[in-house]
Amino acid sequence: MAGAAETALVREDTTGTEAVAGVAIALAVLLFAFDVGVLFDVVSIDGTIAGIPTVALLGGLLVLLGGAVVSFGVGSFLGYVETEPSPDAGLVAAAVFTLVWFGLGGAAAQAVAGGSLLWLPAAAATGGLAFAVAVLTREDLGSTLPAGAVAIVVGVVYLTGTIGPAWAWNLGFEQQASITAPFLVPVATAGCALLAGWAAAKAYGGFGARGRRMGAYLLVYTNAGAIISVLFVLIAFTAFRGIPGLLNGAAVGPGVGPSVSVLGVGVALPVSVPFVTNGVGLLNDFQGVFPAIVGTIWLVVGAVAFAVPLGVGAAVFLTEYAERGRLTQAVEVATNGLWSTPSIVFGLFGFTFLVPRFAGNKSLLSGMLTLGFMLLPLVLITSREALLSVPDEYRDASAALGVTKWQTIRSVVVPAALPGVVTGVILGVGRIAGETAPILLTMTGGTFVSRDRAADVIGGFAFTAQPPFVTNPELLQATTALPFQLYALITAGVGLGDNVSNPTEFQWATAFVLLLVVLSFYAIGIGTRYYFRRQLRHE
Amino acid sequence: MDPSIDTGAGVAGAVTRWRRTARDHLETTPPAATITIASIVVSLAATLVGFLVTSPYTVVPFLGFLLASGYGWVRFQGLTARTVTFLMTVSTVLILCFITVFIFLESIPVLRYESVTVLGVSVPGLRLFTQTRWDAVAAPIRYSMVPMIHGTVMVTAIATLVSAPLGIAAALFLSEIAPAVVREVVKPGVEILAGIPSIVYGFIGFTILSPWASTQFRTTGQGSYLFVGIVVGLMALPTVVSVAEDALSSVPESMKSGSLAMGTTDWQTMTSITIPAAFSGVSAAVLLGVGRAIGETMAATVMLRGVPRLTEPLYNVFYGQETLTSLIANNYGNANGLQMDALFVAGVILFITVLCISVGSQYVEWRMQKKLGGEI
Repeated sequence: MAGAAETALVREDTTGTEAVAGVAIALAVLLFAFDVGVLFDVVSIDGTIAGIPTVALLGGLLVLLGGAVVSFGVGSFLGYVETEPSPDAGLVAAAVFTLVWFGLGGAAAQAVAGGSLLWLPAAAATGGLAFAVAVLTREDLGSTLPAGAVAIVVGVVYLTGTIGPAWAWNLGFEQQASITAPFLVPVATAGCALLAGWAAAKAYGGFGARGRRMGAYLLVYTNAGAIISVLFVLIAFTAFRGIPGLLNGAAVGPGVGPSVSVLGVGVALPVSVPFVTNGVGLLNDFQGVFPAIVGTIWLVVGAVAFAVPLGVGAAVFLTEYAERGRLTQAVEVATNGLWSTPSIVFGLFGFTFLVPRFAGNKSLLSGMLTLGFMLLPLVLITSREALLSVPDEYRDASAALGVTKWQTIRSVVVPAALPGVVTGVILGVGRIAGETAPILLTMTGGTFVSRDRAADVIGGFAFTAQPPFVTNPELLQATTALPFQLYALITAGVGLGDNVSNPTEFQWATAFVLLLVVLSFYAIGIGTRYYFRRQLRHE
Repeated sequence: MDPSIDTGAGVAGAVTRWRRTARDHLETTPPAATITIASIVVSLAATLVGFLVTSPYTVVPFLGFLLASGYGWVRFQGLTARTVTFLMTVSTVLILCFITVFIFLESIPVLRYESVTVLGVSVPGLRLFTQTRWDAVAAPIRYSMVPMIHGTVMVTAIATLVSAPLGIAAALFLSEIAPAVVREVVKPGVEILAGIPSIVYGFIGFTILSPWASTQFRTTGQGSYLFVGIVVGLMALPTVVSVAEDALSSVPESMKSGSLAMGTTDWQTMTSITIPAAFSGVSAAVLLGVGRAIGETMAATVMLRGVPRLTEPLYNVFYGQETLTSLIANNYGNANGLQMDALFVAGVILFITVLCISVGSQYVEWRMQKKLGGEI
């Protein structure tokens, strides 16, 4: 958005009181980070840190944080701190406070009275009180008091040992379930830290419009940071667990790798990664997923060969020839419908439509076409966007030269839209390369496939005198693919140990290779878009 | 005026108009071109019919189509291109129709099997929803969809609770708040999050989250709707983010600048101008996210128990039984006959629900564009 950020002119120097709020924010951030550590068992919940039990330490920090927030609010209310509060804390804040205090009061009553319906009036009372404070008092009190008090109450509960590391609450469900401290403590602490941190950020901004902006920005930035860190953790974790299996028996050096023939001369590659180049066999030193990789590649090639011409062609017709009307509208609705159709439904469709028509059993060809059906809407939508973004001046200029419409499309419009189309196709391919559900029903081969059974589509073509005249047994039999292989490895369970020596390592390595393949498609796609966009800017 | 006469006249008019265009067309195009185009269309239609009736001679009309297109490409390139691209467009719609027809056809036997007589009228398929027993082996054999619908609703609700607020906040961040540099990092990051295959999410959930949850909540066995919902929510997040971001950035800059010129903070502008203006687009984003969550298969399949029954009590999120999608993925292997058809019923329910959501969100978006375009 336009430069609405506060400038040095608006902001005055940081005062001592602002520093209090700043410290409170820092405390909340620290608490949050510490808490994530507890949740992921990096910090043990029954252990001690510098001689203090973890739960008590969390409680102490919470009380401190709550105290800082409340005292800042009270100080502002009594006029010791200069702020510009609004008349009330706002409805959204009030609703959140009511909800939190409703739960807190209810849980407390349940813990004291137990079993009876007494918790309902208690919850209503605390919730109502929080709502009243938030709505009826001035913003500086209304937004700090309920938030800070939550942190203090939860902190006191931790400090007094009411909830200790061994605490558990049996929910009394027919299907047994309990809420235990290792789950509740980190989650409750994180909630309190967010709530109090938000109040502290509001206070730091001096309440009012600027304070609200501050508080909201804290939450929005935390959210964005959390999403990126989840992504990072997911990828890093898979890599961390998968790399040992992937590099099992790998060697680097002249002539260690498999030989490849280049222009008729056999050349041994200097790198050998048996996990990628081997199948599974009794005599192998190291087992690998070569057939699955080949299967995935063929699937992708087949799907692209089917969907890209179809999708781009349809996009050209819709954008260049068709007048906006019933037909274009119907196609748009249909494509968007196809786009959101669950992948397993594509699988069912392939199972009933394609499988009986190709040799009657699951086959590579059915898998290709099913994935092609899935890829089609993606290609169509992105190509259509790319074609629409070609400026009309291009078309007019070309038409002014007296060429036909088709020549304009072929030599002006499509080349101009090509970058967008290519990017869309690559991203779409990344998506379907990792799909499991559709090929589950249309192309499931064995879990462990030896190298010599890897699909050899090119060598499989044969011509016959009988219909259908062209046969390719490779296309008409099932093979394996990376996502399916991973699924089979998960569900195979016990029998896995007979074929591979270290099943867990093998599973993680497969997951990592799949992730690598898919993410490299994405990296190439995003990179291509970047490249073309920069080229466009330079023009 | 009588509406039926009106539509009748409309249709007649359309037909006359169409015939006139066709005649004009025939007069202006050389006959060779017309024949070529006709043979392209006819041979492709024959291919389709041959494929549908599983004729071994399907390849013959297909070769004919290739030959006719090749000839047309050399002689009448523009016209052929137009015809072929038109046929491609039609095929997209056809595929959707085929999906609908074929999965419906497969589900008919089980609908007939599960009919119930209500007030003397036999309602096919009603028993699928009126009792909760799924048992394909022991008598009485019943294929109730209720446990799976319950599972799908639970997972979708939790996933929406995760993906809607986080997704909208992230979209707001990307479209309004983030500095350009941060945006360049976060946006591809969200895209890559969409790219991680669902089986990888499922694998991590299965090996790490499920055992952890089982110990934390002291449940018997592994698999809970709560954690499947969280994982699926994470997977639906990118959809919500990208669609909501498109909606937010389609709010005209002049509206935002007008608000800022009044001296509001940018957060005030967002809450009182941008979000209300883009509200329908943002709700379409959430709807599409819901659609993604309903259709998510692999993570649910590997993380759930795969036992079709209701949890007790119904709101017990610490146990995860079965969703519509995981039912299909778990049972396709050993199913045949009626049970296989019952899986198709699950597919039909999924397909119709998601299609309605997709059409609904398109309608919402279309309305928003109309509104922002100023032609109310």
